[in-house]
Amino acid sequence: MSFLLPKLTCKRDVDHAIKSVAEKVLVLRFGRDNDAVCLQLDDILAKTAHDLSKMAVIYLVDVNNVPVYTQYFDISYIPSTVFFFNGQHMKVDYGSPDHTKFVGSFKTKQDFIDLIEVIYRGAMRGKLIVRSPIDPKNIPKYDLLYQGI
Amino acid sequence: PVSRRPEHRRETARFWRENRAEAALRERCLVPTEEYERFARTLEWALAEHQRREEERIFQVPPATSRTGTGPASAPAWPRLTALYRQMAADIREAERRQRETVQAALQKYCSFFLNRAQLQTEPELCAGPSICGPPAGPERDTPCDAEQPGPSGMQAGPDVVWMESGQVLTFIGHQETEGNVHTGAKPPWLTEEEDGSKQIGPSYEEFLKHKEKQKLKKLPVERVGANFDHTSQTSDSWLPSFGRVWNHGRRWQSR
Repeated sequence: MSFLLPKLTCKRDVDHAIKSVAEKVLVLRFGRDNDAVCLQLDDILAKTAHDLSKMAVIYLVDVNNVPVYTQYFDISYIPSTVFFFNGQHMKVDYGSPDHTKFVGSFKTKQDFIDLIEVIYRGAMRGKLIVRSPIDPKNIPKYDLLYQGI
Repeated sequence: PVSRRPEHRRETARFWRENRAEAALRERCLVPTEEYERFARTLEWALAEHQRREEERIFQVPPATSRTGTGPASAPAWPRLTALYRQMAADIREAERRQRETVQAALQKYCSFFLNRAQLQTEPELCAGPSICGPPAGPERDTPCDAEQPGPSGMQAGPDVVWMESGQVLTFIGHQETEGNVHTGAKPPWLTEEEDGSKQIGPSYEEFLKHKEKQKLKKLPVERVGANFDHTSQTSDSWLPSFGRVWNHGRRWQSR
């Protein structure tokens, strides 16, 4: 499904996307095209992209292509999805340890749609951090600590 | 002259009636014949005097023309008239020169006065100032003393005088000889160019669309995130977006 969504292959493209997308939520999925969970997530993104086209712009980024951003966003698990609005990073409290990105895939398309809507509304109100509407049961669990450290 | 008198009476009577002036004054306003004749005579005499004086002046001019060296080439059909004009021009120049000199002398005195005032900047010097300038005319002495307002305007007058007197030497770039110019009312260059194809007045279609987008932007809430974000800013290769103080870097406000 990843061939349905536009890809960004280098840091310059990512910079340009962050700077140029205006008045819409920018969704950057960091992962690899052939990873299992990424495929799931990409499927949801592709199917909802059209309906969310007025609120969001979605791009896929391969973590191997942009090591700078992989380190900057501290992406240790893939897929990780980062949200921006007008060049400003948007944080979401999912009930997980990391508010800066969404780790894993969504259970349903509706979850993703709701999340985008909440982010968009919060951004319009000037909020840099919003609370996720997704049921915490559906949020993937992961361990932030690396091998028990 | 005698026949004028009854007419004169009638006209004054009518004027008085129409304007309803006081009848008592009317008698005083009637001009008796003798007075009228006397007036006519003196008028003629005064006119003759004036003519005579003008003729004298005109006949003095021929020596002046030979001095300026304009010579016989400028002897038109009305020699007395042009000579008269030349004399008048000379008189005017002389008068202007005298005026300019007095103005410059006065300004110089003001200049030095205000320069003194700026340097010393103490109250007692205010009164000493005009006396330093020497004894100018009475009204001149009063104005520097009393008003505070001449201070800054006086300082501005100073540099202006210096600029006028320094005698700038301007570069002469030649006479502009063309068919028409702004003085003759020729067509301005920005209106004459028609070879650029059909230039449509007003914005193009793309500009109109962009304008509509901008109008929509204005309708968005003003406090939205990144409302003042400059989307077209040129950033270097090492630019990274603000990650909201994740790395303990940046202002605390960024984690709001």
